[in-house]
Amino acid sequence: MTKLTHRRLSPHILNRLIEGAPDESLALTDDHRRSLTARFRAVASNDHRRLDAWMVERAGLPYEPFRWSPASARRVVGNAALRRSLSEPTLTRGDAVALEVSDQLLRATSGYARPGSLASWLAQSSPSVVGLVSAEAANWATQLDEAAQELERPWSVAPSDAYYDVARARTTLRGRRDLIVPRGLTRVVLRVRAGAPGKSAGPGLRADLTIDALAEPTGLAASRVIGLWPEAGVVLSVDGTMEDLRAGARDLVRTAVAWQRHRLARAA
Amino acid sequence: MTSLLDTTPVSVMDVLRGERDARPIANTTAASGLRAELEDGIFALLGPARRDAPLAIRASTLRSGTYAEDLTASLLAQVRGLLVTQALRLLSVGLEIDHAFDDALLAWRADVGSNELTRFVDQLESDERARLATDVTAHCVTLKRSLGPLSSRWLPRTSLRAYQRLAGGDVVLRDVIDLMVGTTTSDQASVALLDVTTSPLGEGAERVMRYHALVQTLRTSIVPLRTSMFSTAAGELWSANVDDELLSRAVGDVLETLRVMTVAP
Repeated sequence: MTKLTHRRLSPHILNRLIEGAPDESLALTDDHRRSLTARFRAVASNDHRRLDAWMVERAGLPYEPFRWSPASARRVVGNAALRRSLSEPTLTRGDAVALEVSDQLLRATSGYARPGSLASWLAQSSPSVVGLVSAEAANWATQLDEAAQELERPWSVAPSDAYYDVARARTTLRGRRDLIVPRGLTRVVLRVRAGAPGKSAGPGLRADLTIDALAEPTGLAASRVIGLWPEAGVVLSVDGTMEDLRAGARDLVRTAVAWQRHRLARAA
Repeated sequence: MTSLLDTTPVSVMDVLRGERDARPIANTTAASGLRAELEDGIFALLGPARRDAPLAIRASTLRSGTYAEDLTASLLAQVRGLLVTQALRLLSVGLEIDHAFDDALLAWRADVGSNELTRFVDQLESDERARLATDVTAHCVTLKRSLGPLSSRWLPRTSLRAYQRLAGGDVVLRDVIDLMVGTTTSDQASVALLDVTTSPLGEGAERVMRYHALVQTLRTSIVPLRTSMFSTAAGELWSANVDDELLSRAVGDVLETLRVMTVAP
């Protein structure tokens, strides 16, 4: 049976959840990876599919094509700004955001940005849109930093999301992670989301847990994944048990099946 | 008659920040009591039966005082308010706004894409659009003059959403804080909330200020330092320190609004 913990956001709640994480560390083996690959390969797809927790929560329902907006850019810029302000402590949060946005614009003007990337979108946007991106990113970086400042253990901003390409299954899994808190031999992953958690927030967290473990070369799973919804003041967490890892993998495969069905229905 | 002032008029930010030495210790214990008070009051109003659809309360519901009036706000006024909020967001990151209407409109469109309100703006006659642009510019000028310097060291955040489910989801408190400064990680209370409105301040403004403080307290479990409201129509600022009495009155406001909503046809 999987275990989902629900708490209201309050001072030190994150510390309590981190300290209460299981001590043992589990790892996904090559057999697990082969088994997952076989299941994904059984779900035929002509196109490359990219699955994440959001799709799991929506049960594979088709979504609008991605477009950059201040809201979709805030996490990328905000996390990078927080990372930068950690390495350069003299920078204010606003300065760090401004430098990150400048870096993105520089990439676009120097020709390193591919079409459709955040850098090229920012370069084509008006100063007021870029300003709004900065405002959103400052919001994000500040709320993430406020969560992190309470942590008693050392923490770091995740260098990137977790990505795992399922071999020969035309499938990429993407797991969100914002803060990493090392804990003994293992780690606790903190993920921040906007809005309020829905009924399927638990399966979404489990999907992130599984993808995070798959993306680790050793397969070592996080001892706990914590989902923080600052707007709702809610914290959920799932443990890195084998049951939760299996449930996460099952949900991802089910989502691939549902996604494929929706695509076939739309095509017909 | 010409008056000469001895000191520079205080800005909105001066009032929001206040005296650093006068800040109280952050109250981290009030939230659970307020939540319990709300839950008890809601149970007394709604009873044990579950509702098919939740009752949603917003700051605008409290401003108007009745549930029905909330829905009658003109689209033009809504657009004006949204654009002034966008201008505030741009000011918060230090952007110089030369063409308030165009800048705010571009930012707003990038933010929301296409919806009923953007289509409404698209369909405005040229004279109506010009009137809206003039109106927005005037409000933004008032805002810019009154706001004062906004240092990034104060951690300004804009358009912060909050969402609180009560009574098992039967009642939902929704809120958007236009500007928040300060941090919840300090031992002292330092979070100041600002609502910017394009309407003149009235009785409903006090309820809105209290509501912001209540929802923020429920969301973070930390009582903010101050809640304020600034009218770009009158250039007027109301500000109140958040204490137990203010929060208790906010609970009463929410319960009274719920009572009106449940008896409304």
